[in-house]
Amino acid sequence: MSDRLSRSRLAPAAAGLAAVGLGLAAAEIMIRADWINRFIVPPPSEVARGISRIVLEEHIGHRFLLTAGECLAAGLMITVLGVAAGVLIHRFRLLRQATETWIAAWAAAPVVLAYPLFMVIFGRNAWTIIMIGFVAALPPVILKTIEGLSTTRKVLVDVGRSFNLTGTQQFWKILFPAALPTIFVGVRLGLIFALINIVGVEFLINSGGLGQLINDLAERYDLAGTYAAIFFVVLVSVAFFMTLERIERWLRPID
Amino acid sequence: MAATDRLTANARHEPHAASVTLLRAAMILALLALWEFLSHTGWFYRDVVPSLLAIGRAVLALLSRENYYYNLGVTAGEVAAALAIGGGTGLVVGLVLGSNRFLARAFEPYLYYLGPTPKIIFFPVMIMWFGVDSPSKVALGSLSCFFPVALSVAAGMRQIDTVLIRVGRSFRASALQMVTKIYLPAMRHPIMNGVRLGLGVALIGTLLAETKLSNKGIGFLIINAYSTFDMPRMYANLIVLFVLAIGANSLIGRLGGAATAARR
Amino acid sequence: MAADRDSAILTADDVTVRFATPEGVITAVEDVSFAVEPGEFLSIIGPSGCGKSTLFNVIGGLLTSHQGTVRVAGEIISGPHPSIGMVFQEESTFPWRTVSDNVAFPLELVGMPKRKRIERARRFIAMVGLAGFENRYPGELSGGMRQRVALARTLASEPKILLMDEPFAALDEQTRLLLGDKVLQIQQQLRQTTLLITHNITEAVQMSDRILVMTYRPGRVKRIVDINLPRPRDSEIVGSEAFGRYVAQIWNDLREEASRGMRDAETHALDHEAPP
Repeated sequence: MSDRLSRSRLAPAAAGLAAVGLGLAAAEIMIRADWINRFIVPPPSEVARGISRIVLEEHIGHRFLLTAGECLAAGLMITVLGVAAGVLIHRFRLLRQATETWIAAWAAAPVVLAYPLFMVIFGRNAWTIIMIGFVAALPPVILKTIEGLSTTRKVLVDVGRSFNLTGTQQFWKILFPAALPTIFVGVRLGLIFALINIVGVEFLINSGGLGQLINDLAERYDLAGTYAAIFFVVLVSVAFFMTLERIERWLRPID
Repeated sequence: MAATDRLTANARHEPHAASVTLLRAAMILALLALWEFLSHTGWFYRDVVPSLLAIGRAVLALLSRENYYYNLGVTAGEVAAALAIGGGTGLVVGLVLGSNRFLARAFEPYLYYLGPTPKIIFFPVMIMWFGVDSPSKVALGSLSCFFPVALSVAAGMRQIDTVLIRVGRSFRASALQMVTKIYLPAMRHPIMNGVRLGLGVALIGTLLAETKLSNKGIGFLIINAYSTFDMPRMYANLIVLFVLAIGANSLIGRLGGAATAARR
Repeated sequence: MAADRDSAILTADDVTVRFATPEGVITAVEDVSFAVEPGEFLSIIGPSGCGKSTLFNVIGGLLTSHQGTVRVAGEIISGPHPSIGMVFQEESTFPWRTVSDNVAFPLELVGMPKRKRIERARRFIAMVGLAGFENRYPGELSGGMRQRVALARTLASEPKILLMDEPFAALDEQTRLLLGDKVLQIQQQLRQTTLLITHNITEAVQMSDRILVMTYRPGRVKRIVDINLPRPRDSEIVGSEAFGRYVAQIWNDLREEASRGMRDAETHALDHEAPP
């Protein structure tokens, strides 16, 4: 019977949701009964009201567009420059040997920690945010582009050679299309890195869209509002992530 | 562009280790020269691009003051605590989710989708719950590193070669013996990877929290240099920080890799 | 000479195993009964799909949802029994442990002190012909050597009954022959009761005292053959007429079952237009 339970798709999802629901209900009860200090954790019902308040009063549309714009800018930059750099590095063996490990280290480095430096250079504004998003998100795009181009199955390359394709034709008709799925993975990773860093820095430097919303509400000591804002931003980020996944899955059949 | 001709030609002559080093040295030198050039043109405001000498002196000054090591200790302690708490919880949760299909389907999606979200935005809540001192930074770091560890461990458990589990059961190993002698060793790669990722995000979470609100730690030193516009000191702090972070990352990677090299 | 139930060390009584699959209930083995004498070498042979591996898991205690009983020294088993040692078909050495640590594993589980474990492990490592390799890792060894490590590991727990599921299946012919000789040698030396699951007739006839031939699914005992050949079974015996007759007899039985299996697979493929 438990075997059948674990095989159905609905039961576990329902159980998960039920658990979350129960948790919220329990929190509501414990806070109202004053077992948990309501000036540290507001009851979920108040937070829910806070959400609608935010949506109506806090220019949420404007903020959303600002953050989205920053992400779009960073996203475009990493795609164009990242793929180009990846192609270039893949082309020259020596260059690849010299730089690939550096770029991998760059991908693992905590770039966002240098945000005060970016603030000095670009000011306390959207440009700092976009540039941090760009610098943090570039390496995965480059690395995945290199990976995609270099892991083309040899047999496909041989097919091209059997038709006597020139170098350029070989690249555009075989290598690049074969590499596209992996390149998309890189762009997706880059976009996620970008969003996380962009929203984070918006919060930290108190400038911009959604990240700044949280800061504003926290500084106003609007408790329920702060929780609501955090919940809202997390929701947006989850939605973004899911959308990217859908897009990637939709694009997959093309390869 | 004779890309494929190059491809096959290159396959025959692999670039020499020496030429790689040469190219790298050349690139670094070119970068440094460009920097030094820019710092002397006066195109940038004052100290935004300080001379290499100034930066070098700042690094030395930084490393020779006891105050730096105190702050380093504070941050290191916070990161270690965050890794222990967040990583430890992540390990346990990962083991549970990895071993039970139903629980995994019920709860793992939450972890998977909540993972790639900016955790620093939770900082105001952490301050409310834990105060303005170190505990709130540790809390944020723990929150950050919980997710990658839990997800890596859960995935790692599902990849264990099932025959190894059957060997354990055929010898009637107890549950604890199964975990310590079979599950954990069989998952050493995913665990190492999870720890590496976890360390990275714990570091980021803790440090960002320090830059936002703190009066000690490396994050504080960085934001302090910013507010006093002491650029050479800021560069010095960032350089040392990045060297340490990248060093720690490759050390863990090397440890995990060395473990596998012996077994290959 | 059939086994006497009273003196038997392992008995199976009417073991039946059924599985629920998307296509209905499948009976893997049905009413399998046999008895094994102490010190005996019994092979279980059958075509693919006869439930050999299912039987292996039942006897080894890894599969408990079955009808019928399996008794070890009179005791009904309800899980892996300490008197039964299992050797699996797939790669089963722990890649993160040295050969010595692998072999000492069962001893570690029961809390044997370290020095004693290492010494005991060394004995079994030598028994399988891997003396000198104690501190190597499985990754440094060949497939055949790794199977020997797995065998040594099971032997180290000194089981009364050794249960092996096609342990040589993944190896090349020469290695298989050498290992077969080695296993036989050990069995004679230790007077080890051994159950070998295999599909290789020559191997079975060469090594066994008796052979249990199984039918195609649902797996039943088709025939039990006494192998009355003298030991040691050297190349002279293997090349003898008597040997050949045993092989031919078993091959006849198996051919019938194997072709039933093939026909089954064909009709299944035609029904579903996809391999089952």
